[in-house]
Amino acid sequence: MNSVLVLIVAAVVILLGYGLYAKSIDKKVIKPDPNKATPAKMYMDGVDFIPAGRNVLFGYQFKSIAALGPIVGPIVAVQWGWLPALLWILVGVAFIGWVQDYTSIMMGVRHEGMTMGGLSYKLISPRSRTILLLFIYLYLWLIMGAFGKIVGYDLMTKPIVPFGILSVIVMGLLMGYFTYKLRQDIIWTTIVAVVLSLFGIWLGAQPFMSNIFKSINGNPNTIVFGQVTWAKFLWSLVVMVICYLGAVLPIWEWAQPINYVSFWIVALGMLAGVLGILVWHPGMGDFPAFTQFTVPGLGPLWPVLFVTIACGAISGWHSLVSTSGTARQLEKETDALPVGGGAMFMEASLATIALLTATAAFGSYKGYHAVYAKGKAAVFAVGLANFMNHIGIPKNFGVAYGAVFLTIMALTIMYLVVRFMRVASAELVGDSIPVMRNVHVGTIVALLLSLLIIWTGVWQRVWVLFGGANQLMASLALLLITVWLMEEGKNAAWAFWPFVFMYITTIGALAYTGVKVFMELSKAPVGNFIAGAIAFLLIIAALVLGYDAMGAVNKARKKAHASE
Amino acid sequence: MGKESLSEKLRHFAKAFGEIIYGATVYDWVRELDKERGKLQSLFILIVFGDFLGVPIIPPYYQLRLLPHIVPYLGTWKRSMLREPDITEIFDEDMG
Repeated sequence: MNSVLVLIVAAVVILLGYGLYAKSIDKKVIKPDPNKATPAKMYMDGVDFIPAGRNVLFGYQFKSIAALGPIVGPIVAVQWGWLPALLWILVGVAFIGWVQDYTSIMMGVRHEGMTMGGLSYKLISPRSRTILLLFIYLYLWLIMGAFGKIVGYDLMTKPIVPFGILSVIVMGLLMGYFTYKLRQDIIWTTIVAVVLSLFGIWLGAQPFMSNIFKSINGNPNTIVFGQVTWAKFLWSLVVMVICYLGAVLPIWEWAQPINYVSFWIVALGMLAGVLGILVWHPGMGDFPAFTQFTVPGLGPLWPVLFVTIACGAISGWHSLVSTSGTARQLEKETDALPVGGGAMFMEASLATIALLTATAAFGSYKGYHAVYAKGKAAVFAVGLANFMNHIGIPKNFGVAYGAVFLTIMALTIMYLVVRFMRVASAELVGDSIPVMRNVHVGTIVALLLSLLIIWTGVWQRVWVLFGGANQLMASLALLLITVWLMEEGKNAAWAFWPFVFMYITTIGALAYTGVKVFMELSKAPVGNFIAGAIAFLLIIAALVLGYDAMGAVNKARKKAHASE
Repeated sequence: MGKESLSEKLRHFAKAFGEIIYGATVYDWVRELDKERGKLQSLFILIVFGDFLGVPIIPPYYQLRLLPHIVPYLGTWKRSMLREPDITEIFDEDMG
């Protein structure tokens, strides 16, 4: 299968999904009114409600939802074969992903800018809000574990990566200083920061520089404890320090300027990758369309594939972004589809490109597996480098660039996740444990919990659990949408059946993984025990949610009949 | 009147693309600064006109002097101050 053909098929599915299905639902069911005042325009308090134009909001939404998920998920999922992974990305986004993102925005807009917590409380039950908070906290914790392992173990331990990361961070901080404090022109500071970051990445890939980090990493067989080598121990701590600074410093001092420079590194990488695909147009070689139903270490295609690829097809996280951010900035109701639906379809394109870096970039199944054995992050780095090489970018630089690309994408999310964990724990336990309200204590507790999973967990199981928590939030969002539509007397089937599918599939994936980790307790006693406990906690919470869902759906049905 | 010319279409496309890039990059900074400005304004109004929410603050003479400047914001300010926030609102920050 040729990579350009895959891109064409993806483009056609996305255009049809958006142009026919999404627009039809928007026009016939939701019926947005361009003249109706949205909460952003009605309230416009300059703090929570600030209207923004459609194009600006599209850029904001896409940047907020596109992270490591649509990249790592497909890279792992192609172990079932490229066809099931591609089908899930395209069918998932066309029938479920855009539904959640777009309708979450409209639901927030039509409820005066209420966020997911308030909506759960109102539309389902007070208990469902608590369940949502539990999903969120476990999801944040699992992100730290999953991303932390990729960054601290796979990426930062590669000697060509740390200097590049350091360059991007330093350039970001300097850029922030020059822009905020010295009021320099942002275009010039951007150009200088990005160019110097690229130079830093190049320098980091040079033998003399990578040798320095090789000597820091020491003997790869030196074990500190358990299965944690010295290099993994050191770099996971470095990652935690970076996350600590990102979580406690004011957002304009650390997170924002670094995220800004990182965006350009990522955008340039994506552009180079796409150009490389178009110029080279490689085939997938002998990479099988389908390998086997049950992949060792992962599990059966159903249900595990559907939580392995979350972002890119459907991701519960997007409903939080849509309700708490986008819905409160929407200028007109008719902007919701291009912003919410459009950004989700765009993320599916990113997931498709990531799938191609794992398949067509290697052109052979053996090639993929040889690199995957060195780390899933290496698959993306080498794959991207292969694409970039066909537009004249040296392979050595390309591999370093791809690794820094992934690392910076993970880090920019991780320190914000730690910030959220701190705020969430202060809210949840701050009354009974007042010290948790302290910024530093809350942050350190979040980081220690993260290290617990990073140092003891089995990555593939943690990734599935992370996907599971995410997809349970998606199920909750789709349930809220269903109940809302039913209360309004509108056709809800297009949200209800995706909810049923996501709910059953996610519980299935969590149950399978939960049982598996307990059976594999001897391989990683602490990590697998924690993973198993999280899996069953999520399942119990999901079952309680399902019970409340039945009540909410019945109540909505009666309300709709009463108003007829 | 009539259909847009190619150059007009290109100009519109370039403008839209620029806005998308702005939304994905600098917009967060601007929004954060806007929020800080909004919070300071809320605080100022609270100090000066706190008794609108039942909190007696400063003598009515100064209140009346400042009233014309505050009137456009009073409605949204009251709603903003009295609104009960939910914890899920913290996810209105850059996650991507």
